[in-house]
Amino acid sequence: MKSPDAIVIGAGIVGASCALSLTNAGLNVLVIDRGSVSSGTTGAGEGNILVSDKDPGPELTLALRSRDLWFEMQEDVGDYFELEAKGGVVVARHDDSALMKLASHQREHGVDAQVVGQAELHNLEPYLHPEFHSGVFYPQDAQCQPMLAAAHVIRTVIARGGQFISQAKVTEVLVKDSQVYGIQTSKGKFLAPIVINATGTWAGEIARMAGSDLPIAPRRGFILVTEPAPQYISHKVYDSDYVANVASSDADLQTSTVVEGTRSGTILIGASRERVGFDGSKNVEILRKLAAQATSLFPVLRDVQLLRAYHGFRPYAPDHLPVVGEDAQVKGLWHSAGHEGAGIGLAPGSAALITDEILGRPSFMDASAFSPARFAMAKV
Amino acid sequence: MIIVVGAGPAGLAAAKSAASKGCHVTVIDSQARGGGQYWRHQTEVSGYKSNRSIDYLHELQQNILITHITGAQVWSAEKLGDGYQLNYLQGGVEKKISGQKIILTTGAYDRTLPFPGWTTSGVMTPGGAQSLLKGHGVVAGKTIVVSGTGPFLLPVATALAKNGARVEIIEAQSPLRWALSPLALLLNPGKFPELIHYVSAILRLKIKVSFGSAVTGYHNGEVNISKVRSNLSIRKKNVRSATADVVATGWGFLPDVTLGGILGCAQTLDRDETVIFAVDREQRASVQNIWIAGEATGIGGADLALAEGAIAGLSAAGSRIPMALIWKRFTKRLFARALQRSYPVGAGWQQWLTDETVICRCEEVSCQEVIESVQELGAEDARTSKLFTRAGMGLCQGRVCSRNVSDLVASTTKCAVSRNERLAASNRPIAAPISLGVLGDGIAG
Repeated sequence: MKSPDAIVIGAGIVGASCALSLTNAGLNVLVIDRGSVSSGTTGAGEGNILVSDKDPGPELTLALRSRDLWFEMQEDVGDYFELEAKGGVVVARHDDSALMKLASHQREHGVDAQVVGQAELHNLEPYLHPEFHSGVFYPQDAQCQPMLAAAHVIRTVIARGGQFISQAKVTEVLVKDSQVYGIQTSKGKFLAPIVINATGTWAGEIARMAGSDLPIAPRRGFILVTEPAPQYISHKVYDSDYVANVASSDADLQTSTVVEGTRSGTILIGASRERVGFDGSKNVEILRKLAAQATSLFPVLRDVQLLRAYHGFRPYAPDHLPVVGEDAQVKGLWHSAGHEGAGIGLAPGSAALITDEILGRPSFMDASAFSPARFAMAKV
Repeated sequence: MIIVVGAGPAGLAAAKSAASKGCHVTVIDSQARGGGQYWRHQTEVSGYKSNRSIDYLHELQQNILITHITGAQVWSAEKLGDGYQLNYLQGGVEKKISGQKIILTTGAYDRTLPFPGWTTSGVMTPGGAQSLLKGHGVVAGKTIVVSGTGPFLLPVATALAKNGARVEIIEAQSPLRWALSPLALLLNPGKFPELIHYVSAILRLKIKVSFGSAVTGYHNGEVNISKVRSNLSIRKKNVRSATADVVATGWGFLPDVTLGGILGCAQTLDRDETVIFAVDREQRASVQNIWIAGEATGIGGADLALAEGAIAGLSAAGSRIPMALIWKRFTKRLFARALQRSYPVGAGWQQWLTDETVICRCEEVSCQEVIESVQELGAEDARTSKLFTRAGMGLCQGRVCSRNVSDLVASTTKCAVSRNERLAASNRPIAAPISLGVLGDGIAG
């Protein structure tokens, strides 16, 4: 086997995007996963590509660029992953002042955030509870089928000369004189001067294997899936509490609801946020709260049957910003992780940042806010 | 209080034995009448010696220590203090019941294998045909082919014939396979009169029987019948055809393990890789104060279920288990093992499929799509294939197809299905659909 220029650990959407971006830049890439394609958090994702839930700042800049890169990726790879600019609608139940302030702030930073009044709101979402009288429409919010996206991106990488090895668990990150030179896995040793850690909730573990440190922890999120229903919901619709929750560091359970229809007719109800370890325990109370919030947005959903529920673990860093860039201590080790609930949306943007930095070419934004070094500095 | 989930043979035996020791028992069941799928209707169509059920059903109705909750769909279960709470739906309303101890006797459902035409109208499971007859007095068709494998085909075929249908039995396995299990036959002499009962019924009702054959296609009333080997691969394709307005086809049973799974009870694989619960000598599950009996601990039929249920009931009541009961369970388990050996379901059925054959009927996913998800997209197990194709995501939540999808993916990757994959495929967080309105209204406080 020819020695690759770079190894990407993780075949979720973050790793797959990185692999594609590096391949397109002319590198020979090897992708490794301990399971198969999309077997981690990507496989439990809703496929959100959102700009609406981001406060102005580096993450919003990344989200806006990343959203466009999703459509470029579709051009590049093919229309196989149900990418759709379906738009988001954010509503406020009582006081809409916080939402309106955020929207105007977002508009100044390039987000298309259209304030809609009662009539227009109910025109966008005819089944929305009548008590909602204002909201903001975000036409840029998009959606994809993330598992199919990762699979087709990996397939493209392979078609362009890259390799993918599944069921290979990394046991060691090989480092000499603070420079990475490869990895040891359950399927053998692979050498490359560049190793990209795109392992989501396991990113801290990989960093530790390299003798470094990355404070990434898992946060549990539930998704409820209903039986196929008529098209009651046209956009991604959510309560404005959601925006507040994303930036919360409160460890208590907070639920807020994102409701949307899918092409197959099922309705997805998601976004409970709860910080826990890797235990997969189910909690009937979470299901009840999500159901109650969804039906308070759309009373018509009261008679729709819940078929199943599943959960995944969202990787997050203490400051709730993604970690994208070269390791502070180990040269050649790059991280793209900690995207929390936004990994699908931010994946191609993060990949572009890493590729640009590796190639030493100018990028679309200053990525220092995402630097892994920020934690080291915080410690000092 | 002891809660028994399920009112089939195992549940009734558990309730009866626990109540005999003075315990208060609540039996909760989804049907309007007790007896489970097997005994629900005490009519002459119920099969051999089903009058045994009378004692148990009488106990269910008359014993003041036993409460019977009917028409209740348990959709979820939670640990509550040192006991358990079951959440159930009854007449569209959600209710809760809690108890210190739980005995799960959740039974089994027909196992289905796909073949070209299996999703068209006229194809059903033997259990479905039996329910129509017992529950609604409806004979599924005028001309019926009862096919698949296992002794359950016999009561279904004879009952349908008795009620006027022209019936043919197509059994995939050879009866000579029973020669592999001499000890099981020796220790279960009571099975011989049962066999004689069915053989004479078959002769009297002029039911045509063929062995070593399977239905491998059904189109517009025409049944394609092929000769098959014991692993179900095709020996000779389309050797003959028959006309029938109904094909009732079943390949043994799959235990319903959802509720025990929600409660965290450890599952294991039976010898034939069916997911079952691991239980100890007294039918105790891995989780404290939960007992499991009947088909959910291994398919074995009513006799085994009665023995296991009685043991679970006594154990939950804190009583000693008589050796005679342990011996009875032993002999019935031996017989269950012989059933597995005599009526195996091998992976050869995959030869019956064409590219277009649907494998997941809820989401209409074809065999070809599943194979492509492996070859083109890199799926390596049923879970990933499901994420790519939606196979197993529909109304039945993979109860019908997930095992078949696993086997198809495994033959495509040329790897065996892993133990973890089998176990994970049975993991469902919701035991029955519930409307979002009812679910949300149940918020505590």
